[in-house]
Amino acid sequence: MKQFWYGLVLFLFLALPPVRHLLESIMAFHMHMQMPLLFVSGLLMAPFFMKRFKNFFDQWNGSGLPGVILFLVIVLYWMVPKAMDESLEIMAVEAFKFISLPFLAGVPLRDSWVRIGKATESVLLLALAILFSIMAYLYILFESTLCNNYLLVDQKTVGWGFAFFSLCLILYLVLTLFTDQSQYYDEAST
Amino acid sequence: MANTMQSHMKKNTLPLVHFFLAFIMLLIGGTLGLLQGLNRGGVFELPASFNYYEVLTLHGILLILAFTTLFTNGYMYAAVRHTLGELSKTVKILAWSSLASFLIGSVLVVWMVLAGEATVMYTFYPPMQASPWFYIGLVFVVLCIWLAGLGIFISAFQWKRRNRGQHLPILAFFAVGIYTLVIFGSIGVTVEVLMLIPWAFGWTETINVMLSRTLFWSFGHTLVNVWYLVAISVWYTILPKIIGGRIFSDTLARLVVILIVILNVPGGFHHQIVDPAFSEGLKFMHVFMSLSIAFPSLMTAFAMFAVLERTGRKRGGRGLLGWLWVLPWGDVRFLTIMIAMISFIIGGAGGIAQTNNQLNQVVHNSLWVVGHFHITVGVTVVMTFFGLVYWLIPHLSGRVMTPFIHHLGMFQTAVWTIGMALMALSMHAAGLFGAPRRTSYTTYGDSATALGWEPYLSFLATGGTLLFFGVILIVYIVAHLMFFAPKGDTPFMDSRVEDNAHPTPKWTENWGLWVIVAILIISMGYVVPLVDLIENAPPGSPPHRTW
Ligand code: HEM
Ligand SMILES: [Cu+2]
Repeated sequence: MKQFWYGLVLFLFLALPPVRHLLESIMAFHMHMQMPLLFVSGLLMAPFFMKRFKNFFDQWNGSGLPGVILFLVIVLYWMVPKAMDESLEIMAVEAFKFISLPFLAGVPLRDSWVRIGKATESVLLLALAILFSIMAYLYILFESTLCNNYLLVDQKTVGWGFAFFSLCLILYLVLTLFTDQSQYYDEAST
Repeated sequence: MANTMQSHMKKNTLPLVHFFLAFIMLLIGGTLGLLQGLNRGGVFELPASFNYYEVLTLHGILLILAFTTLFTNGYMYAAVRHTLGELSKTVKILAWSSLASFLIGSVLVVWMVLAGEATVMYTFYPPMQASPWFYIGLVFVVLCIWLAGLGIFISAFQWKRRNRGQHLPILAFFAVGIYTLVIFGSIGVTVEVLMLIPWAFGWTETINVMLSRTLFWSFGHTLVNVWYLVAISVWYTILPKIIGGRIFSDTLARLVVILIVILNVPGGFHHQIVDPAFSEGLKFMHVFMSLSIAFPSLMTAFAMFAVLERTGRKRGGRGLLGWLWVLPWGDVRFLTIMIAMISFIIGGAGGIAQTNNQLNQVVHNSLWVVGHFHITVGVTVVMTFFGLVYWLIPHLSGRVMTPFIHHLGMFQTAVWTIGMALMALSMHAAGLFGAPRRTSYTTYGDSATALGWEPYLSFLATGGTLLFFGVILIVYIVAHLMFFAPKGDTPFMDSRVEDNAHPTPKWTENWGLWVIVAILIISMGYVVPLVDLIENAPPGSPPHRTW
């Protein structure tokens, strides 16, 4: 329950107009800070929903795959440059961002995470790493602006952000594949 | 006896040689400090052949690069050997090559400065351009750090293999954190130096000044926190033993190490608050990055008070503050560390003030800043190092400290504390009134403002003179403990945790994960400004020689 409140506070904080304004004024903050933090707020709030709507999740997300797919769809949607542009100009799209990233990406992914096996987990990480590498490639090398609201240099910055992000994902993947992470779990906390 | 003695010396040559060289650096660096202090006090002018700025460049490099690196390597190798067992052959080779690399590097650097080819201060900001050999020397110094780190990592790895499922002993855990942090911190400066070398050879014509400064401070700032981490490794693990207590919380100590390693590198921006080329918003964000490091420091302060109070009460201290008086103030190994910790409260407060944009404007590049880091480095870190000397060196050399050396140590501690207090406080004051740092003595044509600094500058010179005696004393003490003290056994002073302590969670051992998180946080801090500095760069600067 504590986690739920942390998540909710984070969510509300991100929705404060000055915070929104600051984070959206710089493309890299918009894409690599606001959006991931919204997603994280969803992750934190997830246990509450998982308990409250246990039947619903059991019925619709039994294997965990539907949740993963929903998560991927939402992430892919927000990779489209136009989506970000619209969120700056159309209030409904902005609202959709604040709903989709926590509740349609964060919550389902956390619910799925305990259901999917290690193999699916690794495939998912790999898929994300590949996706973000493509984004990095595109954003760093593309010669014209993809987002009307930001400058070309902002776009390059975001590209490098993607590059480091996917580097971290790949390193994490390697870590989970080649080391026994269970040695770091405490019996009590699992 | 003579035999065990020799075998002691032989077994421990590696750390002993490090300490020996470290204190030679302190001796030379301290002597140069005296020259600077006397010059600023208006006592004498330095000759043109060895001017103020050459002296200052060497003072900075010898003390904050050479002394601290050698001391840290010596201490950490001694600690790892004590806690993890005999170093393997590979590790020994790595450690000795690290030392060799250091020697090659420092010979090049010092030579170039003495030749008047590198009067660029320890920050070597372009567009001031030194001889390429100066920068090549720096590459060897970085290499020294990396090799030393590699040796520590291998030792830790081998130990984990032999002791599956166990926690790395706390001192070794600190060692892993320290070298992880310094390696992360040195990546930026390595890139910088590799850009400076072709520029200094004349193969490239210009240099991106802002980029270089930013890369430099990602290192400079981290280095400061590396010393700090070295110092708190002593506070957490050794101080309790000295006062007859136990480690307050093993988990807390490890958490602090992890937090410092993860959060640190992006803090470098607080050294560039007055630099152009960063937007206000960015500077604002980085105040948070800087202050986030205050958080583990507050945790440390909490843990230290807890240890001191518990132990004090065990020793019979009663009432609100009774525990404080019963602590072993007459034991030099304690007194040094205690003074170090107290001065950190003062230095930390100054640091938190400085990191704010508006306050920084007032003191930037003034003597205030020099006062600040003579308290943080010159007392907090150096005094902790001195505190180690009294038992670690005899432990390694197979000797025991005599009561006379103990008295001398108490005296040294007093001299150093009073000297630094005098010097640093008057630096703070003179700085507030506008006296610039890095400036040889001048009255600016007898301007009234500059003449107003005079009294403070004479205090500065007095403090500096006291400090010089402090240097002589500690060097004598080190030499005595290393070569002349009576033979015997001095134990290694590492502490145990409280009996009723909670078991340390296993996730703390997950260094692979901490490294990834650190990369993530470093890229969060640096991608935006670096891309901006590169993409929006003005034409680069050709070299300048200001001396
Ligand atoms: C004998 C003791 C010492 C004396 C008398 C002394 C004195 C001074 C003085 C007068 C300055 C120059 C201020 C200026 O013109 O900007 C200075 C700079 C400096 N000192 Fe010390 N100091 C001593 C010990 C130390 C120690 C132990 C350290 C660090 C471990 C240290 C690190 C530095 C650094 C980094 C600078 C700045 C150099 C620069 O601005 O490039 N000093 N010191
Ligand atoms: Cu700093």
